[in-house]
Amino acid sequence: MKRLLILIARGWQLGPSRILPPTCRYSPSCSQYAIEALEKHGAFRGGLLAIKRLLRCHPWGGHGHDPVP
Amino acid sequence: MQNQRNLILAVVLCALLLFGWDSAISYFYPHANKPVVAAASPSPAAGANGAAPTREGGLMNAADRAAEVRDLKSALAAPGRIAIQAPGLSGSINPAGALLDDLVTVRHKNVELNGPERIFSPVGTPAEHYAQIGWDGQNVEIPAPNTLWTAPAGAKLTPETPVTLTWTNAAGLVFEITYAIDKDYMITANAKVANRGTAPVTVTPFARIGRTKKTASLDTWNIHSGPFGAFDGKVSFDTNYDDMAELPGAIQVNEGKTDWIGFTDIYWMSALIPGSPTASSNYRAIGGDLYQANMFYRPVAVAPGQSAGTSTRLFAGAKEGDVLSAYQKTGIANFSLAIDWGWFRWFEEPIFWLLKKLFSLAGNFGVAIILLTLIVRGIMFPIAQRQFASMAAMKAIQPKMKALQERYKDDKQKLQQETMALYKSEGVNPLGGCLPIFLQIPVFFALYKVLTLAVEMRHQPFVLWIKDLSAPDPAHILNAFGLLPFDVPSFLAIGVLAVLLGVTMWLQFKLNPSSPDPVQQQVFAIMPWLMMFIMAPFAAGLLIYWITSNVLTIAQQKYLYARHPQMKAMVDKERADVAAAKKAAK
Repeated sequence: MKRLLILIARGWQLGPSRILPPTCRYSPSCSQYAIEALEKHGAFRGGLLAIKRLLRCHPWGGHGHDPVP
Repeated sequence: MQNQRNLILAVVLCALLLFGWDSAISYFYPHANKPVVAAASPSPAAGANGAAPTREGGLMNAADRAAEVRDLKSALAAPGRIAIQAPGLSGSINPAGALLDDLVTVRHKNVELNGPERIFSPVGTPAEHYAQIGWDGQNVEIPAPNTLWTAPAGAKLTPETPVTLTWTNAAGLVFEITYAIDKDYMITANAKVANRGTAPVTVTPFARIGRTKKTASLDTWNIHSGPFGAFDGKVSFDTNYDDMAELPGAIQVNEGKTDWIGFTDIYWMSALIPGSPTASSNYRAIGGDLYQANMFYRPVAVAPGQSAGTSTRLFAGAKEGDVLSAYQKTGIANFSLAIDWGWFRWFEEPIFWLLKKLFSLAGNFGVAIILLTLIVRGIMFPIAQRQFASMAAMKAIQPKMKALQERYKDDKQKLQQETMALYKSEGVNPLGGCLPIFLQIPVFFALYKVLTLAVEMRHQPFVLWIKDLSAPDPAHILNAFGLLPFDVPSFLAIGVLAVLLGVTMWLQFKLNPSSPDPVQQQVFAIMPWLMMFIMAPFAAGLLIYWITSNVLTIAQQKYLYARHPQMKAMVDKERADVAAAKKAAK
């Protein structure tokens, strides 16, 4: 499960993300954050962290350096 | 040199994408039905058995089609057929075997046949598809498939008038089937055995749907066509026609309680719903492209002077969402899930609901799609506005940015970190974030699903030449809209809509601040034209959504630039800078 989710994030980085204009307000980017979170905290907690991060990543959200806890 | 290599690479990649994508996409995202060709002439190629199924379903090869017309005519001309006339279905009951083998949908048209869409066709015709109510039994004379049943003279099955067929065997067993029909697609069959003889008998009531796979619609990885049913409250789309034939005995016994069982196409289905929770069921391949879905009740002993009955419902018709939901409310478990929405149903159904509401306002599904786009872009507008405001704020810190870029020009990682830190300290951020993109992808995917799946979208016209939003744009440019006498190869079949998509996308990209990254610049330059090819074979409705979205984005950018003139100046200057840098590099 964890591997699959990481694969999805990697797929995003290599595919659509390459083509789209850079949009992420954070560093590391959402996808990188997701991969790190999944590796560190597993599928469930890591996935949850990634979703929370995505939900913050809009014009009213925060920005800047935001590493995986 | 570097530049040239990149260019060659880009061209090769594009070519790869163009051809590779076409085959990949037709596997992953099966195309909408090919536009219907009027008057299919029996060409030698179509005579072979190899014609691929379409999303519409129906007989594929010309010989079968001709045979169907002929055989259907003679089968339906047989005397004694009992007419069926209801708002949803019409047709007739075959007195031989008391079969339901002639049903057409009143509300859905078949463009090719210029008539109603046929669901059931008699046994022996090429499009064979029927339902049978019957009994099994040992040491008892049961009705045979060719048993001639009797009905009252002048009987006609309508929602107001059920029809009862009877047959009595030599031993005094009276078999009775009463068919009743509603205003949509449900026929209720009450089957009864009355023992007027002298010996007790045991019979096993059953119900069966038999059909050919020759009329099956396209079976793809995300939309199932084939045997299906609900067992223990779970809908199973896992059985395929071809797998069936390879099973031992070509039979698949279904585990669990049978809620309903039958066959589905993308738009049509036939299903039996048992009147008893103890019914069991199986699928069988009986050879010659023929398949059965069988449902058996428990054997029942009928003593002399006694009778026993079962009630079975048969659904035969179009998978209209509202109709299926209404039946589900009458207690048929998960009947609305007969539409193969997939795991994303929770999002697709609300979009579909919204689209239907907009349709009832506008009266045209094309306009409804445009309204949907307006709503989506309307929701995104404050985000874009906010993004623009912070871009304007960016301008103020431009000198500091320049200084950073100078200082860390050899360390990209460090530069990024420092840039982020600067944004934070100045309280600005030029980027919209990932969420706005993620919000739009599901809407697009849901619309794709709705357009390929929902019978409500089938043959829905827009304006001018677009007669079917769920089919690709038929106006192919390369053969001058059909004036030149050749078929365009599929990867070059670009319609007017696809060109509009490319042009609007190109215009939209032109309004964006140009990217400093040369690779990305090239991507932006190529992408609109690439998307033109990629999207061309998709449903016209999907392209209309995208074009409208592009146009609205362009209008939004223009408006925002007008409100922030300093941004316009900045973007122009940036573009000039980039162009100058390019020149300098050469």
